[in-house]
Order: sequence, then C-alpha cells, then structure tokens
Amino acid sequence: MELLIALAIGAMFGIGIFQLLRRNVIRSAIGLIIISNAINLFLLSAGAYEGVAVAYLDAVGQRSDALPQVLVLTAIVISMGGFATVLAMLYVISARYKTSDLDDVKRLRH
Amino acid sequence: MLDEHLVLLPIVIPLMGAAVGLVLHNHPKWQRLVTWLAITISLSFTGLLMWRVFGVQETIVLFVGGWAAPAGITLVADPLSALMAFMSQLVLWGGITYGLGCKDKCARYPTFFPLFLTLAVGLTGTMLTGDLFNLFVFIELLVISGTVLTALSDDHFGPEAALKYFYISLFAAIFLLLASGSLYVSYGTLNMADLAQRIAADPNQPLLGMAAAALMATFMIKSAVVPFHFWQPDFHTAAPTPVHAVLSSVVVKVGIYGFIRMTTLLFIDYSHTIQTVLLVMGAFGVFFGGLGAVGTYDAKRMLAYSTLGQLGFILVGIGWGTPLALAAALIYAFNHSLIKAAMLMLAGSVGSRAPVKTANFDKITGLGKVTLPAGILFLLGGMALAGLPPTNGFISKFTLFQSGVEAEAYTSLAVIGVGSLITLVYVGRAFQRIWWEPMPEGVEPKPYGDRLIAPAILICLCIILGLWGWPLLQTTTQVTIWLSSPDHYIQAVLDTAVLAAH
Repeated sequence: MELLIALAIGAMFGIGIFQLLRRNVIRSAIGLIIISNAINLFLLSAGAYEGVAVAYLDAVGQRSDALPQVLVLTAIVISMGGFATVLAMLYVISARYKTSDLDDVKRLRH
Repeated sequence: MLDEHLVLLPIVIPLMGAAVGLVLHNHPKWQRLVTWLAITISLSFTGLLMWRVFGVQETIVLFVGGWAAPAGITLVADPLSALMAFMSQLVLWGGITYGLGCKDKCARYPTFFPLFLTLAVGLTGTMLTGDLFNLFVFIELLVISGTVLTALSDDHFGPEAALKYFYISLFAAIFLLLASGSLYVSYGTLNMADLAQRIAADPNQPLLGMAAAALMATFMIKSAVVPFHFWQPDFHTAAPTPVHAVLSSVVVKVGIYGFIRMTTLLFIDYSHTIQTVLLVMGAFGVFFGGLGAVGTYDAKRMLAYSTLGQLGFILVGIGWGTPLALAAALIYAFNHSLIKAAMLMLAGSVGSRAPVKTANFDKITGLGKVTLPAGILFLLGGMALAGLPPTNGFISKFTLFQSGVEAEAYTSLAVIGVGSLITLVYVGRAFQRIWWEPMPEGVEPKPYGDRLIAPAILICLCIILGLWGWPLLQTTTQVTIWLSSPDHYIQAVLDTAVLAAH
C-alpha cells in the first residue's frame, strides 16, 4: 500500500508538472489541479501507514491520525478558491489577448 | 485573560472591516471610511502589542479556542513577530491611505478595499502565527487577495501580471505543504516551538533535509530572491500603485521572516549551510538587482529590480548570522519597507499625471515639473535608498557594513560595497529623467494626480528614523537577544501551554 501510494504521488506530480508546462491555458490550469491533488495525497499518506499505526509513534493497534485529514480538507478548500481565481484570470486573458496559447501572453516584456 | 487576546486583534479587526466593507458595497464613502478606520484601529493595536512586547518585555501567546500548544492553533507575538507585524501594518496603513486618495478606476471597484483588508489579515497573520500549517493558510489568503487586486488594475496587462504571480505563488504554497507534510511525518507536530524542540532532539530524520529545502524554496519565491525573481518585475509594472507599494515592500519580507525563523529556531543544526546559501544568493542579488534597475525602461519596474538588490543586502546580513548582523538585517528590512513603499507611491503618483497612466520613462520625461513636492520627496527617498545621511537608509547601510567588519567577512563586504554604489546611479537617473529634463512639446499633464499624503508621511518617518535612530536600534538589539537562543521561543510557547492546561 505504501509503495502504491508513493508511486501514485510520483506519477501525479510528473503528469501535473508536464501539463503545467503545456502552452494551452486550460491544460496548464489542469496541471495545477493535478499537482495540488498529488500534494493532498501526500498529506493524507503522512497520516498513516497501512491505515492502522500513526507514522511517528510506530505503535500498533492505534487508529490512524486524523490531523492530516483535516489538513487535506483545508488544503482542498483553499485550492478550490485558488483555481476559481486562476480560471477567471485565464478567461479574461484569453479574451483580451485573443489567444489560448500561454506563450503569447508576454506583452509586459520589452 | 483579555490580555492575550491582544495578539488576535490585528488579525480580526481588518477581517471584520472587510466583511462590513462588503456589506456596504453600494455606499463607497462609508466603505472607504470603514476601511480606513479598520486599518487605523488595527495599526494602533499592533502598536500596543509592540509596546507590551518591548516595553513590558513579555511574549504574548494565545491558544485560539483554548486548546493548548502543541495541539491547538497558536498565535505568538514574540519580539521578532511583533516587530514584523508592526512594520507590515504601518506600510499597509500607508498603502490604504494612498488608495483612498488615488485616481485609479480600480480603487472605485466595490471589492477593492475589502480585498486590501484581507491582504492585511493574511500578512499580519503570517507574521504572528505559531504553526506551519496556519502559515500556509495565511500565505494563501495573502496571495489570492494580492492576485485579485493586481488583476483589477487599470493597466490593460494587469491579468497577465496577476497570472504570473499566482502560478508561481501557488507553487510556493505547494512547496510549503510538502515541507509541512514531511515535518509532520518525521516529528508528529506542526507547532513551530514543539517542532524546534523535536528537531533539536533528533536531527537525523531522512525527510528533514527535504523539508528544509522545500521551505527554502517557498521563502525564496516569496521574497523574490534572485534565481526565483522572474515574476516580480513584470508583476510590478502592471499592478495598481497602492497594491504594489505594499507588495514590493512588506510582502517580500515574509520570506525574510521565514529565513530568520529557519536559521534561529527550526533548523539550528543546519543553519550554517542555510546561511552560506543566503550569503551567496544575496551577494548575487545585490548585483543582479542593481544592474537590472539601471537598464529598465519604466520607473516602477526600476524600483521592482531595486527591491531584488535591497533584499540581497538583507540576505547577506542574515547570512553573516552574527547578532549584530541580524540586528542590521532587521533594521534594513524595516527601513527598506518604508522607503520602497514611499518611492513606489511617488513613481505612481507622477505616472498618474501622464495623459495615459504609465510609469514608462519615455512617457513621463519632465513630467515631474508639475509636482515639485513629489520631486523633493523622491529626492529624499532616493537618498534613503542609496544610503546617504540624514536618512534612515544611511543607518541601515552603516550598521550592516559595521556588522560585516565585525564578522570579518571582507570579501562579501567588498561585493555589497560596490553593489550599493549602483543604487546611486539608478536613483539619480530616474530623478534626472522625471524632474530635471525639460518636458517634451505637446504633452499635457493632468491637473490632478494621486494625493501625496501617504508617501509624505512615510518619507517623514524615514527622516525621523534617520535623525533619531536609537529606538529602532534598541528594539532590534532586543530582538537579537531574544533570537540568540531558540529556548526562549520554545519555553515561551510551551510553558504558557502548561499553565493554560491547569
């Protein structure tokens, strides 16, 4: 389980960063969403190994730690606000610059 | 009981002001009044907090909701936090006062001032919080407010600047979450005092290095330290004047605060490595920022590059790491906030006189002729930025160089000594372009521009702190005594927790 989660986090990071660096505005926004979900998974897995023992205490028979789940909830809410902002800005940008290519969004550089 | 709630007020009052401001969105005059009152009251309570921490010499710790540390949410006003929070609130007050008198269309947008107040909440909260996850929450609040304020800008390219800022800041937030996750796995706590204690007891956890690196990346992006700076000049060219006056002066100090906490509290065992990294990047930043500022086409962009250089000086101070150097870095940070906010406001107010609002040197050549008071203030501010007496910039540069001599770091001292001369070049050039050269034919400046009250007050403070510098010197000395041992902070938080539990 530990290995599976580790691989999943790694894969999501990879896909997320690849998407984030794409030129299409929507793809790059989706990349951000995938990366932040990878982080949420990482925080969740910080709470428990195999869903039973607390990570640091290394004790058997205890319930898994609830704090990381709270952290994940907060992080999800905050990232939702963030993505709403990103999508709104991308909407304005694609209307003003008449493009969906992020490489064309560079009029502040001279 | 009520005493410890004092630390909550600088966070709660602007938040309430923002809520009331949103309710009053149909009544702009009342909204402006509420905003200004909220920030003024919160500034005065931060001043009271300052007095309690430095005058009465007690650290105020509040466990929100009554759950004692390390379990609950902790707000801590120790000397470092109190000084940084006061600095932030002072400049935010200046920014809002400028916003009230500015002619930008975006300042009439109904959510402009409420967003400004949530920016204040985020910034003050970042300085006062006692655990890593709340640091993340407050930083996100800060970033989202700052982004929306920038995207509202009158400048046509505002959303582009905001997008760049937001993408890179979201990355910083992701790194911060990575760091808190790794530290939580290794040590089972996120409270900074508890964490410092447990890291010192067991510094060989495998994820510790990763956490330290991720935190470094976060704070470097926040402070726009040179290899992480690329969003910053673009961002400041397009942001509305009151917003970037705040963002370029105090929001970049979040990273400075983080570095000081990292080297004196969290990662004591690795502080030498961190300091070396900061020293190299700082010295590089002094040159990069200075040369970048000399080569720009826009007054605001020039000041944004200048921030990179000035932050370099502060990082070099933290990198030397001696008590005197830390005190010098804090003095530098405080003074730079005042100077840079005032300078950006002055550049913006001259730009607001141009037929089409801009700060491009070619468009505002000679435009300063119509606002002589702004010219005098800009000259004084420029002297402060370059570090000439009788301004506070002289005191900050003097203490920094003195601490360098004491630390016997002559190589880095020579580097920043040469770097500081560049400041004189670009400030002089800007003054010459805007106020000295004749106005080209056919340009008709607007009769009214942004009000000059806020920059005038900030520049007055700069002069006062330059002529009468010992209060700041004494305060920062008190901070460095407090920072000399991490036990002070740990005991202050955890002992109060033991008391609260009984």
